[in-house]
Amino acid sequence: MRSLEFSRNLSIGQYLAGDSPVHRQRPATKYLGLACLAAPALAAGPAGLALALALALALGKAAGLRPGFLLRGLVPALPFFALTAILQFLFGWPGDGSPRLLSLGPVALTAFELRLVLVAMGRCFALVAAIGLFTSVSTEVEMAHGLEDVLAPAARLGFPAHRLALAATTAFRFVPLVAGELEAVVKAQASRGGDFGTGRGGPIAKARAYLPLFAPVTIRALERAEALAEAMEARCYTGEGRTRYARYPRPRGEAAVRAALLLSCAAAFAAGSLLRI
Amino acid sequence: MPLIELESASFSYEGQDRPALDRVSLAIGEGEYVALVGPNGSGKSSLLRLMAGLRRPSSGSVRVAGLDASAAANARALRSVLGLVFQSPADQIVSTVAEEDVAFGPENLGLPRAEIGRRVDAALAAVGLEAERRRSPRFLSPGQQQRLAIAGALAMEGRFIGFDEATAMLDPAGRASILAAMDGLSARGVGLLHVTHDLEEAARADRVLALDRGRLAFDGSPAELLRAAPGLGLSLPPSAAIARACGLEPEPGEGAASLAGRIRRSMKSRNASSSAAPAAGAAPRRLGPEPAFRVEEASFSYLAGGADGRPALDGATLSLPRGASVALVGRTGSGKSSLLQLLDALAFPSAGRVLSLGVDTLSREADLRALRTRAPLSIQRPESALFEFYAGDDVAYGPRNLGLAGKELAARVRAAMDSVGLPYEEFRDRPSRSLSGGEARRLALAGVLALEPEALLLDEPTSSLDPAAREAVLALVETQRSSGRTLAFATHSMEEAASADLVAVLAAGRVAACAPPRELFYEAYDEAWGLARPYACELALALGGRVLEARPLNAAEVAAALRAGGGRA
Repeated sequence: MRSLEFSRNLSIGQYLAGDSPVHRQRPATKYLGLACLAAPALAAGPAGLALALALALALGKAAGLRPGFLLRGLVPALPFFALTAILQFLFGWPGDGSPRLLSLGPVALTAFELRLVLVAMGRCFALVAAIGLFTSVSTEVEMAHGLEDVLAPAARLGFPAHRLALAATTAFRFVPLVAGELEAVVKAQASRGGDFGTGRGGPIAKARAYLPLFAPVTIRALERAEALAEAMEARCYTGEGRTRYARYPRPRGEAAVRAALLLSCAAAFAAGSLLRI
Repeated sequence: MPLIELESASFSYEGQDRPALDRVSLAIGEGEYVALVGPNGSGKSSLLRLMAGLRRPSSGSVRVAGLDASAAANARALRSVLGLVFQSPADQIVSTVAEEDVAFGPENLGLPRAEIGRRVDAALAAVGLEAERRRSPRFLSPGQQQRLAIAGALAMEGRFIGFDEATAMLDPAGRASILAAMDGLSARGVGLLHVTHDLEEAARADRVLALDRGRLAFDGSPAELLRAAPGLGLSLPPSAAIARACGLEPEPGEGAASLAGRIRRSMKSRNASSSAAPAAGAAPRRLGPEPAFRVEEASFSYLAGGADGRPALDGATLSLPRGASVALVGRTGSGKSSLLQLLDALAFPSAGRVLSLGVDTLSREADLRALRTRAPLSIQRPESALFEFYAGDDVAYGPRNLGLAGKELAARVRAAMDSVGLPYEEFRDRPSRSLSGGEARRLALAGVLALEPEALLLDEPTSSLDPAAREAVLALVETQRSSGRTLAFATHSMEEAASADLVAVLAAGRVAACAPPRELFYEAYDEAWGLARPYACELALALGGRVLEARPLNAAEVAAALRAGGGRA
């Protein structure tokens, strides 16, 4: 990784304004969409997760987002995929009778192992795409309001839905901030000979090189959190007795959209268990 | 009855022996426009926080609109009266839609939606942001973000707004827009307390308070403050420094035209003097022909590939001679930081190329680690990247990465710490976090100097420092310059830029001009850059004649030009 830009590889926590049908959905619908894409990504069979990934990318296209933008969060994870592939290659599975695709002396890559690697990668791709899509079309405020709406029934039973929603949105808000801080500190240390982005050294040397980052980044993040908390307090935030200014008009065909999302989720699970790849 | 009343109020931070505020008594009336000045650590922010009930006095009392500010039960009522605007634009914006951010306060008060809407409309109109209401604050300029924060405070419909160094992080144009917004609020009868280091800004208020080590050291008019400033550890703004250098009494916030008039009158009445001082301005230094850095048609954008990937640099071309000091100026977002990062190979051009100390940063053979340490970049607020517990260890990080150890390493660290005015023996075992803001900044610079680099890249080295710390950093930069090191620094201060060998103006991702400061500010200057000229330059233009011919860039040069002119402007 030559470039030291972390925010460039960040696909979550970056809202991109737009006026597509995807953007216009109410926050609760967007949460439903996230759930309907993420569930098969995590738990459905290969065909189902491929379907979920395709749907996430298609919705992204409808929202004006390029697949590369949704999936760029995976770039830093690519070396780990390579590592898993190598581990699969080096160690065999007991009772693995599948054909050998590649062999090198005693070690071999079998079809079974290749499938494991591909499915693991597919899950990451589908999950990152689903989260990237959700955060690219939802503002933090929408996420908070959506979470509040989704949890409204529980709130009536005394569940602290509003506070949870605020905590969640603040966390989302801080993802790009912390990435920015990390970037600044990495650049400061790299300027002083810190070994980042020069592609040298083994994994332990790399991990050690990152030690000078943790303390400053944590402190900077905490300072910013404190500044934000103070600013909120100065504007009378207590978490109670709030009203809501934002309004989310119900878009046309909302019921159909929600039904389609649920159906696609069911279809993904069905495909995953019926279609064996 | 005054709106804000402090009676012998003291406040201490936990674990600090000296109180941040020490028995401060003062009263501020309804609708007053007050400025609060003082060095870092003098208690300005603490005072503002006591007033807003964000901190409680350890003794004494604070009353706002008749309410005891230390009672938790009064918090809501108090903060509806007194709003705050903080220093960092990004850290006080809660929402991702401008109008919803303005609505945050009224929502917290539990107001009905229609009333919130009315307040949001009025507040956005008052700061001129109606057109941006649906935009994400992220895409507003820092000046606009600060105006949004003002709108957020206005929507509380309070009677008083405190500004905690709210202009410190802005470029000249952003600063001017905030100051104008403040004048507008004052005209509408909203009371203001403006915390600032800049006496030129403070002079806009009707009354100035100065704190010194927690005590109220001054309470009077801006004119009186200029007379008292030297004794309060405050540095004079350029206009006052020039007036004084010309033997005139400084007047608060005086424009160049008015000062020029006074100078002409005083010259007439004075006997044409005999002193034949040499013409103003040192001769420009000879610079080596071979460039230390060359940027050729370089482009660079953040979030490339994203829908909002805007170019930070768009075909910038620049050549920096070896041994020169170059000031990079330009509005926020004009590409100064990006350019410095390209020079240090911390970022790479998407088009064009960058030759840094003779190395093409995109070349596969380039040893980036070596290159970065030969021309290190000190980022904005570099002190926040300090990570070792002890000051000496932090300075040692760089040379240790270069492979130094033992005596050689200790000698490097000693030399670097001594050169920034943090004597090695005294400071090496001090915890980094215990240093003051100015000391920490200098320690961070020592960490870069310890690399004994060929060139230094500094991103806003004096930002957010008080005048004393600023002077110390500028002196340090001057030492580096005179030692022949190539130096590039970004700054929002035209006074600082005028001290460099070359000034490069960035506008919309391109280098709009690069010339020696005298040439740049007197001949090539273009209003479209959105910058300002140094005050000395404005004054010379207003005076014309001999002074203008001398093209002075600072107070001493103006005074010398006047003397050389035999008393005729």
